[in-house]
Amino acid sequence: MTGKKSFLGLVGVLALIAFSGTAHAEPYLAAQMGLKCVQCHVNPTGGGLRSVFGNAFAQTQLAAKKIGSDEDLWTGQVMKFLAVGGNARANYSFTDVPNQDSTNDFAVEEARAYLDFSVIPNRLSVYIDQRFAPGNATNLEANIRYWFTENGAYVKAGRMYQPFGYRFEDDNAFVRQMSGFNMQTPDEGIEFGFEKGSWSTQVGLNNGTGGAPEVDSGKQVVARTEYVGSVWRMGASAAFNSTDVGDRVGAGLFGAFRAGPVTFLGEVDYFDDDSIGVAGRKLMASLVEADWKVLQGHNVKLTFEWLEPDNDVDEDEQTRTSLLYEWSPIQFIQLRGGVRMYDGIPQNDLQNRTQAFVQLHGFF
Amino acid sequence: MDIQFIKSLACKGFLTLPLGVALAGCAGNGEGLDANGRPISDIPIVNSDFQEIQDTIFTPICSGCHSGAGAPQGLRLDAGNSYALLVNVSSAEVPGTLRVNPGNPNASYLVQKIEGTAAVGVRMPASGPPYLPQDRIDLVRRWISAGAPAASGPPNNLVVTSTIPAVSESTAPGLGKLTVIFNANVDSSRVSADTFTLRDASDQLVTLAGVRVPTGRQNVVEITTARPLAAGSYQLAVHGDGPAPLAGESGFVLDGDADGKPGGDTLIPFDVNAGVVR
Repeated sequence: MTGKKSFLGLVGVLALIAFSGTAHAEPYLAAQMGLKCVQCHVNPTGGGLRSVFGNAFAQTQLAAKKIGSDEDLWTGQVMKFLAVGGNARANYSFTDVPNQDSTNDFAVEEARAYLDFSVIPNRLSVYIDQRFAPGNATNLEANIRYWFTENGAYVKAGRMYQPFGYRFEDDNAFVRQMSGFNMQTPDEGIEFGFEKGSWSTQVGLNNGTGGAPEVDSGKQVVARTEYVGSVWRMGASAAFNSTDVGDRVGAGLFGAFRAGPVTFLGEVDYFDDDSIGVAGRKLMASLVEADWKVLQGHNVKLTFEWLEPDNDVDEDEQTRTSLLYEWSPIQFIQLRGGVRMYDGIPQNDLQNRTQAFVQLHGFF
Repeated sequence: MDIQFIKSLACKGFLTLPLGVALAGCAGNGEGLDANGRPISDIPIVNSDFQEIQDTIFTPICSGCHSGAGAPQGLRLDAGNSYALLVNVSSAEVPGTLRVNPGNPNASYLVQKIEGTAAVGVRMPASGPPYLPQDRIDLVRRWISAGAPAASGPPNNLVVTSTIPAVSESTAPGLGKLTVIFNANVDSSRVSADTFTLRDASDQLVTLAGVRVPTGRQNVVEITTARPLAAGSYQLAVHGDGPAPLAGESGFVLDGDADGKPGGDTLIPFDVNAGVVR
């Protein structure tokens, strides 16, 4: 979109936002607004490049204050058939591990760019998610997406994140770490999705190798479905990975509801993994999160997580409690800071560390 | 509905966040586990740099993600899988570089990843900071420089590596068993009530019911007290001196005072505290 048509399009988007309340990027934002992931992201399962709607929301609803003129709104559409986006996160963190000297450092957590070539608008796209830092460039997603009908069924093939539970930004959340489904472990395969009414459903078939080349004939099947209401939502996930070193079976429940300015999210996952060790393991992880929208552009996030790394072993559980403040002073900038407290078995110092961080997050 | 049940539900995420946070402290107390959170019976004998790398790096830190069929980049770092997937195996991220290139740590992708110099991707562990302490990185480098052997010969000393309860730990009343773990197999014929002594705060000997090396765990000694320990301070001594010094299977007497020479006692003070809840 360019010129007058672009501006009129944006007016339409803004009007939609005004009537719907708002839209967003992280799961709590979607839950807060009663929207599906696909509303703000070109990827139906969320994460990565933001849609025109998502970009408009970031500028008009997410930020405490918008600077610049309304006619200069960024849509991500740099050409008729090409949309771009990106994320960059710079951290300063302080870590205290019992019986060790504390450390503090600056680091680039990530710098990523997204490209979406809509060769047939709203029907056929080629999508690329490339990480440029830290280290050299790494491809995270590269896939072809075809919508059979607008907002109906789609098929996606190539390299992609797998649909399971909530796609949290924090890959170290116990539910994402334990399940192995996070933004560090895209896999190669195919995904079918259905976005009908209040339902969002995906079924995927992939190598099940965490992004590595296939090593056996077994494959992984992943499925996720979610009912999205305006105030509450509920969903379930399942995964089955057949490998030469053992089968891995998992299931999870997740949901969210909004109570005034506070949005609650929860997820609990269970895995029976015969591919670990000799006897296999049964693992469980859960997360409960509360997000309080104090004011526009200000969010307080409180999270409690629990991890059972081996159900057959007593007294090995771990917890993680996080308190974060997220401030979006102007569009496309977010300042995040907070504390994460780990609690584990006393004989493992790392399981009892405390971490404080400040993060500058730029996105578009 | 008792408090333990509510706490259990809160820990598992079934109740709301405020309740979960209010009842935080749902982590395990680690009783009967090693530092990796595994049952004490799973403790392998430490007899090589690689085993030490497994026990202090791969198992406690890496295998949280790098385990099972879905391990990132297909790299499983749980015990039993790690060696075969590392040594002389091409990296999935940079296929031209071996994960571990025996004799050449600088050209080993594993070293590049833990030092943060790899061409691709984030520094490991991905949950860092904290990243690995320099002495752990040095251990990996030393192992690779030595040719990345799967195992070496038995160690040339005998030292205590950990105990339950740990040094200076406060534990709950009712404790009746102490566990001492060594870096190598002990000579079970030299394990007796004279080799291990337990004294209370008034320096009185606490009567022991038994001292034994469990079957199949030759690097572990279990000490059972005649009665559960009452609240108070205690000190367990493992003797490398005196009439009955402890020795390993290979004949080395315990280096109890960690001076690099055989001899000396290892002292493990701990408290039994009525305020500690199991």
